[in-house]
Amino acid sequence: MGYDALVVGSGVAGMESALELGDMGYKVLVVEEGPSIGGKMILLSKVFPTLDCASCISTPKMGATAHHPNVTVVTDAQLSRVARDGDGGFHVRLLRQPRFVDLSACTGCRQCEQACTVSVPDQFNGDMVARRAAYIPFPQAVPLKAVVERAGTSPCTYACPAGVKAHGYVSLVRSGLYEEAFNLVLEATPLAATLGRACYAPCESACTRGSLEGPLPIRRLKRFVADTHYARRQRPPLERPAWNGKRVAVVGSGPAGVTAAWQLAKRGYQVKIFEAAPVAGGAMRLSIPSYRLPSAAVESDLANLVELGVEVATGCKVDDLAQLKRDGFDAVLVSTGTTRSMKLGVPGEDTLAGVSSALDFLRGTKLDQSPDLHGKAVVVIGGGNVAIDAARSARRLGASEVHLVCLEQRAEMPAYGWEVDEAAQEGVVVHDGWGIASFSGPAGGARALGSVQLKRCTSVFDPEGRFSPSYDEEVRSELRCEAAIVAIGMTADTSAFAALAPGGARRLQADRATLRTALPGVFAAGDAVTGPTTIAEAAGHGAKAAHMIDRFLSGLELTAAVEPLPAVDKAEVLGRQRHHSRRDPLPSSLSLDSSPASFAELEAPLSEDEARAAAGRCLDCGVCSECHQCLAACPAGAIDLDMRAKEEELDVGAVIVSTGYKLFPADAKPQYGYGKFPNVITAMQMDRLLAPTRPYNTVLRPSDAKVPERIAYVMCTGSRDQTVGNPLCSKFCCMYSLKQNQLILGALPLADVTVHYIDIRAAGKGYDEFFEQAKAMGTTFLKGRVASITETAGHNLVLRYEDIDNGGGVKEAEYDLVVLAVGVQPNADVANLFGPGELALDAFGYVEELDEDKEPAATSIPGVFVAGSTSGPRDIPESILHAGAAVVQTAAYLEAKPRREVGVGAPPLGGARASGPGRPASEAVA
Amino acid sequence: MSDQVTPSPGKRRIGVYVCHCGGNISDYVDVDRVIDAVKDEADVVVARDAMFTCSDVTQEEIAKDIREQGLDGLVVASCSPKLHTTTFRGVARRGGLNPYQYTQANIREQCSWAHTDDREGATGKAISLVRAAVARTRLSEPLEPLVVETTGRAVVVGGGVAGMRAAIGLADMGLGVFLVEREAELGGWVGDLPKMFPNGTDGHELARRLQDEIHRRPAINVFTRAEVVEKTGTYGNYQVTVRAGGEQIRLDVGQVIVATGFASYEPEPGEFGYGAPGVVTLADFTRMLDEAGSPLVYHGRPVKTIAYIYCVGSRNETHPYCSRYCCSAAVHASLLVTAADPGVRQYHLYRDMRTYGRHELEYIESRRRGSVYMKFADDEPPLVTSDDGSLRVTVRDLLTGGDQLAIGPDLVVLVTGMVPRDNAELTTALKLPVGLDGFFNEIHPKLRPVETVVDGVSICGACQGPKTVAESVASGLAAAAQAAAVLKRGVAELDPQVTFVHPEACTGCGQCVGACPYSAISLVERGPAKVASIDAAACKGCGGCVPSCPEDAIDLAGYTDAQIRSMIDSLLVGSET
Repeated sequence: MGYDALVVGSGVAGMESALELGDMGYKVLVVEEGPSIGGKMILLSKVFPTLDCASCISTPKMGATAHHPNVTVVTDAQLSRVARDGDGGFHVRLLRQPRFVDLSACTGCRQCEQACTVSVPDQFNGDMVARRAAYIPFPQAVPLKAVVERAGTSPCTYACPAGVKAHGYVSLVRSGLYEEAFNLVLEATPLAATLGRACYAPCESACTRGSLEGPLPIRRLKRFVADTHYARRQRPPLERPAWNGKRVAVVGSGPAGVTAAWQLAKRGYQVKIFEAAPVAGGAMRLSIPSYRLPSAAVESDLANLVELGVEVATGCKVDDLAQLKRDGFDAVLVSTGTTRSMKLGVPGEDTLAGVSSALDFLRGTKLDQSPDLHGKAVVVIGGGNVAIDAARSARRLGASEVHLVCLEQRAEMPAYGWEVDEAAQEGVVVHDGWGIASFSGPAGGARALGSVQLKRCTSVFDPEGRFSPSYDEEVRSELRCEAAIVAIGMTADTSAFAALAPGGARRLQADRATLRTALPGVFAAGDAVTGPTTIAEAAGHGAKAAHMIDRFLSGLELTAAVEPLPAVDKAEVLGRQRHHSRRDPLPSSLSLDSSPASFAELEAPLSEDEARAAAGRCLDCGVCSECHQCLAACPAGAIDLDMRAKEEELDVGAVIVSTGYKLFPADAKPQYGYGKFPNVITAMQMDRLLAPTRPYNTVLRPSDAKVPERIAYVMCTGSRDQTVGNPLCSKFCCMYSLKQNQLILGALPLADVTVHYIDIRAAGKGYDEFFEQAKAMGTTFLKGRVASITETAGHNLVLRYEDIDNGGGVKEAEYDLVVLAVGVQPNADVANLFGPGELALDAFGYVEELDEDKEPAATSIPGVFVAGSTSGPRDIPESILHAGAAVVQTAAYLEAKPRREVGVGAPPLGGARASGPGRPASEAVA
Repeated sequence: MSDQVTPSPGKRRIGVYVCHCGGNISDYVDVDRVIDAVKDEADVVVARDAMFTCSDVTQEEIAKDIREQGLDGLVVASCSPKLHTTTFRGVARRGGLNPYQYTQANIREQCSWAHTDDREGATGKAISLVRAAVARTRLSEPLEPLVVETTGRAVVVGGGVAGMRAAIGLADMGLGVFLVEREAELGGWVGDLPKMFPNGTDGHELARRLQDEIHRRPAINVFTRAEVVEKTGTYGNYQVTVRAGGEQIRLDVGQVIVATGFASYEPEPGEFGYGAPGVVTLADFTRMLDEAGSPLVYHGRPVKTIAYIYCVGSRNETHPYCSRYCCSAAVHASLLVTAADPGVRQYHLYRDMRTYGRHELEYIESRRRGSVYMKFADDEPPLVTSDDGSLRVTVRDLLTGGDQLAIGPDLVVLVTGMVPRDNAELTTALKLPVGLDGFFNEIHPKLRPVETVVDGVSICGACQGPKTVAESVASGLAAAAQAAAVLKRGVAELDPQVTFVHPEACTGCGQCVGACPYSAISLVERGPAKVASIDAAACKGCGGCVPSCPEDAIDLAGYTDAQIRSMIDSLLVGSET
């Protein structure tokens, strides 16, 4: 694919260049970084000195550019490299950024915008009003199509092992869309109520707000969403997809199995779950104590599966996978979890009554078959979450003392610190740094447990970090007890699946990438494959298995699902705002009893108000929350959040750089208070306030939406100012200010407008006349710089300025609104397009024209030309003229070399070559 | 002429689109009511509103309606046709409708903007205008543009830097060029200048380099001591007559570029002491600097003190415009003085220092090197007196709190601006539009700064308005680009909205021949009689001949008598309701 000319940037100079080259017959590619062509001009109110409506005179140019048969426009794209091809042309690498909207399908109907739940400042309205994360850039945009702004994956969502769009449901809760939030969770896993309670919430650890006052209670918001849904009397039934004719068996109903079953059922598979236990749910139902995860919550979640048509057979142990295939299942997923407890291997463990495994103990407790611990002393052995669950359960069963013995020092314990603390508050005594030497009966040698002998553990891990405890056998201790619960680890029970665990392996063997096992059509997932993890991790593994099984049964290559976008950098998120208002996190709702007696759920639910307030603290790190409302709303199916950047390579004959300028960041002049005082705005913001598509439909000041009566202009903000490193005059600020003065006086006839200036530089055709017109309309001009701006209690602004016209001296005056006439800065990114140092810049960072007086637009690279403000501040007509110069240079450059083959269309229509070389004038005249 | 053509409602399928113009219209015109009023008009099958009808998406919607609803007429009620006729003709074409079956009703300039105090009246007027547009469209017929081959050559009038650079640019794009210069040599003003701001380019040198390049390009034919006296012909094929050395030469060209430059303002005698020894213009001073050695000497006396008075002949009643370049030029001259003799004291008496953009650096540099700047109020210009040959300048300086200061300079430099050149003959020959300031006028100062309202004629350099060298050269190239955009295609499409004769009604009276300002009409034999015949390529569609015909035998395509009459009828009906 090739073009005669590449135009980088689609402001007025870029459009003009492309149109003229296109008219001459050259094939032109216009590359625009943003979502619309038109540059800054299309955002203006009117233009000086004609006071033409900027939209009205820009849109024809934009439309002509978009529709010109010889011009191809690519938006949302950057050039990652422009290199000379050795033949006078250029080899270009184009990076097309994802817009997350299929431009060919989008009709610009704005339904996505209305459905979007994230609001961010509207950069096309000077950040004065909000727009949605899914949005149409502005009403005259070309193309007038939606964009979904994604800065990356929000850290919370990125952290979720289950693939739940955490930011998405937070955003939906914020919008009061609880049912939608529930459905969003269910896109990943049916375990909404379960994870809302028993998840260790890596999302909250990742939450950017955590580095301010504390993270959002993301997990509890999920519980709120789930509880709200399940509490509804009348719920719309889940829609069952049509059966695709295939059947899948899932062995095991823990988080991996049910999530896999759920995902497959949603894709139209008929799924049957086989569960060996009398109840479904695996560890969720049989091992996590009810005070953390009530059985009812798990059962509600599992009911979703049944509603979707998944058959669950409990008490049904599978030990012959081949039989399942014979029974007509096209694929099998084995996700049997870790159901076998590990043993200490010390004397008395197997022989004394009263020593049990944590899994058996917890399962008994959950199934109301708990041992009688009333008044007994209990020792729990282990330092992990299961040990804590066992210890706290033992307290609830009436144990008089509960001792938790672990090898690790307290800080090293695998259990979360807060879990250990809560256990301690409930009366569990932690003995850290001890190993078990033996269990003994009471004196007299009865077959019942009487005590546990401890030995000092000196280290748990070897220097490589592997588990390898060492002991000081000399240091001993003993705990008297009537019961002991061993919670030192769990492994998979592989006995029934010898083919999947060759050599008696303690885990099922499955390919890491595809989760395929040695048996065709049999996949394995969850803790049985990975070893003990969390509910969320197992659920994520189950979802991955479902994806692979689906691809397997669809005859597709077993490739992974689209990776999420990289997580957004938290520093970038925090840097979006100058300051964040403090919003305190919710206090903990836990009330812990030192002698807990009940298995009732400990954590109180969030009220709706609490949930809304908590969700309102979200910083929208990824901008788009992935709440998927746009996907549901788009009638054209045009939204695709899985779009990713693409690179293309092209060849072009010549390059015109017209990337324009940047406005001076007004907060770099702190004495003017921009960003601190709401009623100090930039001139670009004022242009938006005056534009036909203005945000407030009149000129209002930001602090209180009052119509300002006294308005001051501070000229040369960031120009002619060595203190900000820019001695240059920005050329057009005087004129745009004079324009705004007149428009303000037209819109607000009672307003007083005062311009604090150094020199009014109305140098151009009709410009000084325009200055006189502004004076005649009543604008006051005061020569002298403004030293500083301070704010009054009522958000008025006091300017301290020099008044040269009236005898000199420093004066002060109060205004309702101050407009900073910000100047221009070079767009420094330009030089990066080329090899280091190839494109010469001037001392100020503008692209240098080596011989401006004779070869305007020519740069240091032959074949690369510059148009418009890229080489220094230019107003619109100057930019048009300069673009004309760039066009001639480009056309001359292209003519001077042999015509290149272009991939599109025919070569330009030949212009008549008049009087050829050596032809005397007399012959050429008629 | 068929008097009896009456609208035949029910046979056409017309789409009407009413624009809000983002509030420009809808703030003062009730767009919904306009739509309600016309949606049930005969032949109207689609009537919609749009925030910006010119936006890409609405354009596409209209094109889609044309295709899907089978529209055979299109009305857009929006802004002035000057802005968007081409836009919506393009939309019609994309939708498969003949572009000339489109009518634009101007309800912005003529309604919302004109009647901001009368929403009711503005709305009523808009309704009438839209109805009239529907009436015209109802009688519209498809028209096809006349396609003509263009001449791949241009004539550039003026051999200063802008004209020379334009000529080189045209030649390098493969076009033939005639470069016509009034003087004996190419070079213009710049050829007389020493080092110029802000790049330090030597003017003599620049002019020489450009001349060398011209001589190296056989595609450029240069005529010196030559002037353009006449232009005839049709779009893309003009005959330009040049008078050179007592001869008249006819040049066949496709485009004309005018680059005739400026004149330097000559102060009135006594204006700021002008006429007294030691009071010189900036142009004189620049020449002095070029010729003088170091130290600077004036009339045999060393110059130790210079006063510059800015805005002489600019920003005043007779010349209300700013000459743009003079501030920077004077500052630059003062730096040349300092470079030659750092001991010279220089005082700059100014109103606003307009050293815009990069020129600011020289202003900073001149202050660093000791130039003193004094600002005088617009209504208190400095006073220059000459007594016994010694000059005295008094000024009230605002920068020092309004102190009255007096300077005794050896030289007073009047910083004079640019004024339009006396181009009467050329202006007439090319029918060039001239602005209030006397410079040639472009078609639109913002977006079309080199084109003029005269077909095929563009302007560049300082003849359009004061410019620096770099700006003149850039605008010269811009004009070259504009010309090449027309000529490189080799063909041009001409507007088919031109007049035609109903020969059976023509009596050959010849009234129309005299009425045509473009000499497009002639009488030809038709059997025994003579009838009028119109050269479609020469006709501009002005319609001047139509009323001159006593037999109503001439019609203007797109604006036939029947169409105009039906528009008037519908306006009258509209005003009654």
